[in-house]
Amino acid sequence: MAEQLIAMILAGGKGTRLQALTKKIAKPAVSFGAKYRIVDFSISNCVNSGISTIGVLTQYESTFLDSYIGNGEKWGLNGLHSLMTTLAPKQTEEGLNWYNGTAEAIAQNIEWIDALNPENILILSGDHIYKMTFNDMLWRHQSNNADATIALFEVDPKEASRFGIMVCDENDNIVEFQEKPRSPKSNLASMGIYMFKWKTLRKLLIEDLKNPDSTHDFGTDIIPTMIARHMTIKSYRYSGYWRDVGTIPSLHAANMDLIDGKFDLSSFDEEGRIFTEDTYSLPHYVGKSGNVTNSIANQGAIILGKADYCVISNEVVIEYDAECDHVVLLPNAYVGKGAKVKNAIIASGVKIGDWCEVNTEGDDIILVSQNVTKGGE
Amino acid sequence: MNNAIGVCNLHYSPNIGLLTAHRPFGSVSFLGRYAVMDFTLSNFSNSGINQVVILAKNYVYSINNHIQNGYAWINNTKTGWIRTVINERRINDATFNTDVSNLSANLPQLDLHNIQYIVVAPVHFLTSMDFRPIIDDHIASGRGVTMVYTNGDNSKGEFKNCTSIKLDKSKKIVKSTLQHNQAKSVDVSLDTFIFNKDTLFDLMKSQQDISEMLSLADVVSYCINNGTLKVNAYKHTNRVFPIFSITDYVSVSMDLLNHASREQLFHDDWPVYTTTNNTPPSKYGSKASVKNSLIGNGSIINGKVENCIISRDVVIDEGAVVKNCIIFTRTHIGKDVKLENTICDKNVKIKQVTKLGGSPTEYLVIAKGANV
Repeated sequence: MAEQLIAMILAGGKGTRLQALTKKIAKPAVSFGAKYRIVDFSISNCVNSGISTIGVLTQYESTFLDSYIGNGEKWGLNGLHSLMTTLAPKQTEEGLNWYNGTAEAIAQNIEWIDALNPENILILSGDHIYKMTFNDMLWRHQSNNADATIALFEVDPKEASRFGIMVCDENDNIVEFQEKPRSPKSNLASMGIYMFKWKTLRKLLIEDLKNPDSTHDFGTDIIPTMIARHMTIKSYRYSGYWRDVGTIPSLHAANMDLIDGKFDLSSFDEEGRIFTEDTYSLPHYVGKSGNVTNSIANQGAIILGKADYCVISNEVVIEYDAECDHVVLLPNAYVGKGAKVKNAIIASGVKIGDWCEVNTEGDDIILVSQNVTKGGE
Repeated sequence: MNNAIGVCNLHYSPNIGLLTAHRPFGSVSFLGRYAVMDFTLSNFSNSGINQVVILAKNYVYSINNHIQNGYAWINNTKTGWIRTVINERRINDATFNTDVSNLSANLPQLDLHNIQYIVVAPVHFLTSMDFRPIIDDHIASGRGVTMVYTNGDNSKGEFKNCTSIKLDKSKKIVKSTLQHNQAKSVDVSLDTFIFNKDTLFDLMKSQQDISEMLSLADVVSYCINNGTLKVNAYKHTNRVFPIFSITDYVSVSMDLLNHASREQLFHDDWPVYTTTNNTPPSKYGSKASVKNSLIGNGSIINGKVENCIISRDVVIDEGAVVKNCIIFTRTHIGKDVKLENTICDKNVKIKQVTKLGGSPTEYLVIAKGANV
């Protein structure tokens, strides 16, 4: 049975700017929103769009992601016609081939994709936080008979030079691509969501693989080639919540967006749930002296102190008289008695010692990735 | 442990009023996340018992709804299973719908060639229990039955509904009775047994001769007292939280708001498994004030909550004050509502009254789906 649409999620990146958070795990595996990992969003978006075949391309620190993805059960992708697998670089007759670029990652898995014989293929980044279904995009892609359809997001013109910018004509055709341009010609950023006719993409990938001058990247190589050949590349505008959480401040800000309602993950939101791994934790406990306001908290947390504007993950402990203000606490983080923390992300399992003060005077967001003890950080 | 099968026995479950009007006690919500029977099922699972029969009296839908495919509790999904069985013939016959008749009606589920031991445990004693040393002790004793008992402080009557036992010098049970004093120290049966398969089947047959109204525990007691059965006793030392009534349900729940009590029921190396509902973390608003409470995921809290157990997806609006309450899934407490000493079943909406509640000794229970 040929699939109308399969998804390939690019999850091999390190995310260097996330500092120590990605020292041992890939960026898509970084914790987000008290319960989730970043890659849960792309996968759940696929699931909520009815896509049942997903390949996750891993490379950097792939072991953890491989076991996290498993057979896809966490997202319900272990059903009758579902298929989920990770695709890491492999040794073949030609030798060992790393994924040198996003397009090459797909190109090296042509055989796997061919076996599924899909009509269209959706390429996603596993790095982004958003809730989006792809049904409408697929409908437009097919009714336009497009070779490719690319999702675009309007950004602040001042910020445009940080993104891959697409220039469109009046009929929504993409006519130019600019990678992080100094003088952007538009403010439409690529969301890293590409939909291709598989037959078209397949040819382009094989050709690109043989080109010694190519960097084997969708944005800088495949799309410009398609533009040069006047292939039909349509834009798809998206105006919902979408964030690339590439830096510590942006990761912190996106977590805070869950609190002020810019991004809603609640059970009462109609847009579909984000699925993730469950933990065997008790409901979270707030103590007699606890005080939690403007925050979100996951099961397993124990809050005996004060938390305002905090994102509190599972198994976090905030001790008596501790105060956390604008803090993202990743799983198993511990804030000791009387400790004060402000504007920070506390990495998984990190302990802030009793009566320690962390960034209480600082306005910049910091990452705390090592235990803090009194008398020396 | 592939030579033992677990039987989660729902036949002894207490009736706790409205909460068990449409569901067995085993699937009553507990501590904001669990069903009561999760503790027994997790004890089986953590002990390596991978094949489990849930012996249900009625309301199978409610059980299936919670258990689903059973994968939350079993280790290997090919060799392991959880099956819910009922006695079809006796389902509307309260007198004769006993655990013994249910087991007899479903004998093929138990009489498997690899099974040597049958572990029967009820759900109304909440405790963490490792069956592995108990089975070892059972085998070493050479007896056909081992009864698990605990030594409890009955001065407050916590164990007054239990069967008390007397042990001889060699720690074998010599007497089993329903009568005992409000003593500081009583040895009580936990209605939990390890049977050699053949011994169990023999006892089931002998029930027919004694009285078909007797339960399995009754038959064991009867046979101990008339000297026809030698029973090995195993003392369980982890704390046991017995629930025989709605009052017990409330007091055990409230007791578990204490960290020390929680530590006696939940251990890091002994997880309590349950079905996942993919619920997001809970959300606290700027006016939220929560003290001494357990809060389930997916809840949205803007009011005041004190000494409460709040389940999944509960909404508490601004100005609401909820004290000493147990609130089940998807209940909504409206703006400025004052609620005290109340249990709200699932999907309750309280919006039209401003003040409601029972007393600390007699909780108000609001039925599933009620609009108040």
